[in-house]
Amino acid sequence: MLEDEKITIKSMLPTNKEVQSTNHELILGRFKIILDNFSAYYSGKPAIKDISMKIKSNAVTAIIGPSGCGKTTLIRCFNRLHELISGATTSGRLLLDGENIYESGANPITIRRKIGMVFQKPNPFPTMSIYDNVAAGMKLNGVRDRRKLDEIVRRCLEMSALWDEVKDDLNKPGMSVSGGQQQRLCIARALATEPEVLCMDEPASALDPISTAKIEQLIDRLKQDYTIVIVTHNMQQAARVSDYTAFLYLGKLVEFGPTKQIFENPTEKLTEDYISGRFG
Amino acid sequence: MDLWLNKLTNLMQGMAELSENSVSTAIEAYLSDKNVVETIHNQSTELIMLQEEVSDLAVELLVRYQPVAADLRFIKACMEIAYGFARFGRYAYDIAQVRDQFGKLSDCDHSMVANTADEVKRMIRSSIKAFNDRDVKMAEDLRKTDDIVDSFYRQNIKRILEGQIEIKCAISAALILRYLERIADHAVYIGDLVKYIVSGEKAHL
Repeated sequence: MLEDEKITIKSMLPTNKEVQSTNHELILGRFKIILDNFSAYYSGKPAIKDISMKIKSNAVTAIIGPSGCGKTTLIRCFNRLHELISGATTSGRLLLDGENIYESGANPITIRRKIGMVFQKPNPFPTMSIYDNVAAGMKLNGVRDRRKLDEIVRRCLEMSALWDEVKDDLNKPGMSVSGGQQQRLCIARALATEPEVLCMDEPASALDPISTAKIEQLIDRLKQDYTIVIVTHNMQQAARVSDYTAFLYLGKLVEFGPTKQIFENPTEKLTEDYISGRFG
Repeated sequence: MDLWLNKLTNLMQGMAELSENSVSTAIEAYLSDKNVVETIHNQSTELIMLQEEVSDLAVELLVRYQPVAADLRFIKACMEIAYGFARFGRYAYDIAQVRDQFGKLSDCDHSMVANTADEVKRMIRSSIKAFNDRDVKMAEDLRKTDDIVDSFYRQNIKRILEGQIEIKCAISAALILRYLERIADHAVYIGDLVKYIVSGEKAHL
């Protein structure tokens, strides 16, 4: 009887190979981006210093820190925009879905398609219509089928909560709409290339409170389908929109954890001083 | 924001002083068979008004500064501690009402109330000192003293139920012991909030 039980229990346990496979899937499923001793440099001078952190899938991660701490540099590393600056280099590993995007042979174009970027200042293509702003990326990728393009443009504008406001004005210039609408247009444009991660560099800093609220609602909705990383100087915005917060100072990761914990009970004094405005 | 936080601290200290004074006055009056219901009623009302003032100030601070971390914990705790101080005042009024409603109680044996009252007054002082000094150790010790108060309460109620005490004395003592036991609980909650202010840890009741 005892022996039978042993056999039954043993047969229910996964093999070592199965355990490894499950762990692997868990790690890949839970974390979209993993930084492993990652550093970034400008002409040999470090701007990001030896950061290790795991960014969770389908969650919003806010990166906060004083000006010049490396926030923007860090998210520009996520889709290899950093290397476009002359003299800019990196070291360490940055994994997207478990693959090091800085490995030789990794295609930066493919990576940039997977990791979309929205910048501080809305920057629709000035000569293009609202429709073409969204469709531009798809057209560059060779999509010519008008029906398919219509479908994608509509879907992206709906996802960025802009469709109802511009559906009758799709041929108007992208620059003709308000600042808040332009920023949502840029988000729609970023979504059109079907990214998996959306990096936003202070996406609402130039917007009024109503447009800011719309962007924040949008971020909350988009995280169901995307992994979102947002750089912000606005502590309250970080507290409102993010699930996790990373505090950077002088290129180093000081603290990283659930947003509620960071804003209610941070572990590091430096974090406490920064978020409560008693820095230095 | 620091100026506003100082204002909040001053308000809290005012409440602490008044609530401690209310409870002491009510207990002393009971033990010396004096009617102070009007005085204590006024103090209790003032404490409720001060609690509202703390609440308004805290909300204003939240709206104006959107505080985080230690500031946020302090403001949140102040709102709850102010409620605790207001409860001290309310129970003091309840104690004073006993003498007012029951009339002369000088023939009663006050020893049961006196012993418990000493512990409870000590707890109030400790909770206030722990709050002012952010003394976590003192705040944590309040739970131990509360166990003593609870034990006194059970023993005394048992004694009352034995039926050897005259009915008027028995009911008045039972009521006052109950109010004291509740005051001790609120002192413990204040201690828990002091710990929350300092460490961010919440008490698991």
